Amino acid sequence: MKLVKIDKKQWAEGLESLKKSFRLLGPVKEDSYYSFKALKEGEQPDFSFLNTRLSPKSLLFPQSEAIVEYSLDERDEDHHVMKAIETDDSPRAVLGIRPCDAKAVTLVNLNFDTSEYKDPYWVKALAATTFIGLACDTPKSTCFCTSVGCGPYHEEGLDLLLADEGETYLVKILTEKGGNFLSTAGLEAVDEDTTLFDAKKKAAEAKIISTIATDNLKGQDILDLHEAPFWEDISFACLNCGTCTYTCPTCWCFDLQDEIHGKSGKRFKNWDSCMFPLFTLHTTGHNPRGTKLQRVRQRFMHKLKYFVDKYDQGIMCVGCGRCVNQCPVNIDIRKVCALMNDHKVDEQACAVQE
Amino acid sequence: MNLMEHMGIESDRIHFSWISSAESTKFVKVVKEVTEKVKALGPQQHFKKNDAKVA
Amino acid sequence: MLDYIDKIKEISERLLKDCSVEMVIGFRKGTLPMMNEPCFARTPEDVGQFVWDSNCGINLANYLTDRKERIGIVAKGCDTRNIATHIIENKISREQLVVIGVPCKGMIDKHKIATLFADEIQTVTENGEKILVTAGGKETPLNKSDVLQKNCAVCTHRNPVFYDELAAEKVEEQQDVDRYADVQEIEAMDTQEKWDYFESLLSPCIRCYACKNACPLCYCPTCFVDEAKPQWVGKGQDPTDVRTFHFLRAFHCAGRCTDCGACERACPVGINMRVFTKKLEKDCFEQFGWEAGMSLDERPPLDTYRPNDPNDFIK
Repeated sequence: MKLVKIDKKQWAEGLESLKKSFRLLGPVKEDSYYSFKALKEGEQPDFSFLNTRLSPKSLLFPQSEAIVEYSLDERDEDHHVMKAIETDDSPRAVLGIRPCDAKAVTLVNLNFDTSEYKDPYWVKALAATTFIGLACDTPKSTCFCTSVGCGPYHEEGLDLLLADEGETYLVKILTEKGGNFLSTAGLEAVDEDTTLFDAKKKAAEAKIISTIATDNLKGQDILDLHEAPFWEDISFACLNCGTCTYTCPTCWCFDLQDEIHGKSGKRFKNWDSCMFPLFTLHTTGHNPRGTKLQRVRQRFMHKLKYFVDKYDQGIMCVGCGRCVNQCPVNIDIRKVCALMNDHKVDEQACAVQE
Repeated sequence: MNLMEHMGIESDRIHFSWISSAESTKFVKVVKEVTEKVKALGPQQHFKKNDAKVA
Repeated sequence: MLDYIDKIKEISERLLKDCSVEMVIGFRKGTLPMMNEPCFARTPEDVGQFVWDSNCGINLANYLTDRKERIGIVAKGCDTRNIATHIIENKISREQLVVIGVPCKGMIDKHKIATLFADEIQTVTENGEKILVTAGGKETPLNKSDVLQKNCAVCTHRNPVFYDELAAEKVEEQQDVDRYADVQEIEAMDTQEKWDYFESLLSPCIRCYACKNACPLCYCPTCFVDEAKPQWVGKGQDPTDVRTFHFLRAFHCAGRCTDCGACERACPVGINMRVFTKKLEKDCFEQFGWEAGMSLDERPPLDTYRPNDPNDFIK
């Protein structure tokens, strides 16, 4: 791990020359929001953003991705054979990903890259990508990353971490991949001691004013939480839209859909959402999560309890605040987490039932 | 029909007719008119998926 | 409008105390500026959480669908029109409801206000016709009339069309508003311009379906977008599929839409999909003299036949 200083002008020139060997993706402003886009020649990432509207998970796990194609025409030799659709796995770099979103990638990876199963599309895309993080010096009031094992200068999942310092970037080289990126860019990096970087980190962390407590979640009994009385109140307003799941950097569920035109077909991997009734609908017509309450409970139980119990890596949330900001009816995960964390079973009520 | 036109589909691509099974001449006339109008517009460019190949 | 709340609470408490209803549906204060959360009260004590201000844009009729209880519901002009539509379509019965009518002075447009400030908005408060926004530590006053939701700015039915209780004196209805200026602007475009307009309008759509789920009219057990056999529309992000969803959804609202604006308000990316439904609302008004939800007794134009119905489109 090494800290260097790079002049912003040189950085910009370095990026331009990197475009020969890397596909560069970075935040770009569109109308009133930012999103990650492939940078064209001469185009620089816009680092004045707070965060992008959607999380950059879509760069590794697109909302809609064709994965295989096939022919149903029996005159074709290879009819009814699923053929993988080629993907571009050449080296690429994501510029300016926020530390929360980078940590989210490591959480999603727990699901897509296991010793038993590997999602080839995810694994290949991840291997091809270098992550250049941009530390947050002006977090939003809805950011609560420091409460969930993350932070504005968090390093997990990143290859380089940039901190903005006037005319220069302080760059922390975190992995070999990151080092390669810098040397390919041919950037002149001046060694820097960590005093300033550490001070900036401390100042940024102090700006995160929103906090949540998660300390009791692991100790809570699953069934007690499941039967807790607050779910009707929490779920009442919910529209069962997919906003929270689609904007969430850690939601990983997808659906497979075939689209057939004439005799040729493609299979798509599309984001899915546990908020949709169709998510759990069986072919028999039975739906084990047929009500809104059950679906809302599932989402929060997964993020704040099942995940905690299964992986022992904290909650499945990096505190980016996207769902808090974008939920049409203001269902706030911070509030739900507090209810779950503080939940106490009314002993007397149990005694009466017995 | 109004909404289709409103969002940018040429109105000449959409036709409604009421033709009785006894009105063969009207049927021929309408089909001819429809064909001419659509031909004049050329192939549909909008509102079709690029993947949609007609087998 | 802030002063309505005492009366709303008083009525709600009374209804719950004398058991005329089992629950009252209203709004409570959200955790973010310009956001209130729909909620319910089952006991007189629960009523304390209720609020009323210019951030109650979600249509509460949406929360009535197929409920079995006796319900008190806080309802703006547009909400009552959607409740009427629900009653006509047998999604709730009149006998189950106690409508607490709210003469509405318009809701504010959170998307628009957010775009007016470079910094994150910290607080938004209101005082009659003034909206005070604090962003980046600086307070800026705005005229409410400049930041109304687009549908509220042209609303001509601010008062509840029917009610059992009223939270305040009726307000004066807006006269001389050009209800269809936005539709006419699109109507004046040529075909290619129209196509491009909707193409760019829908480009940020992520198909979260917040618009259809916030809409009281969208209550089908399985929406056509979710049907797999047949698959009416592709489920991915192809622009043709995205547009098919939006325009077919609009068609399903023909003659039923009250232009309450809940869809646009709910959209996380700020798409004004009202330009689809508004065109149909305009057509219904011009061709059938129909405005949805104005009465509990009249059948909507799409399920009635009249000999003088316009039929110029049949050739």
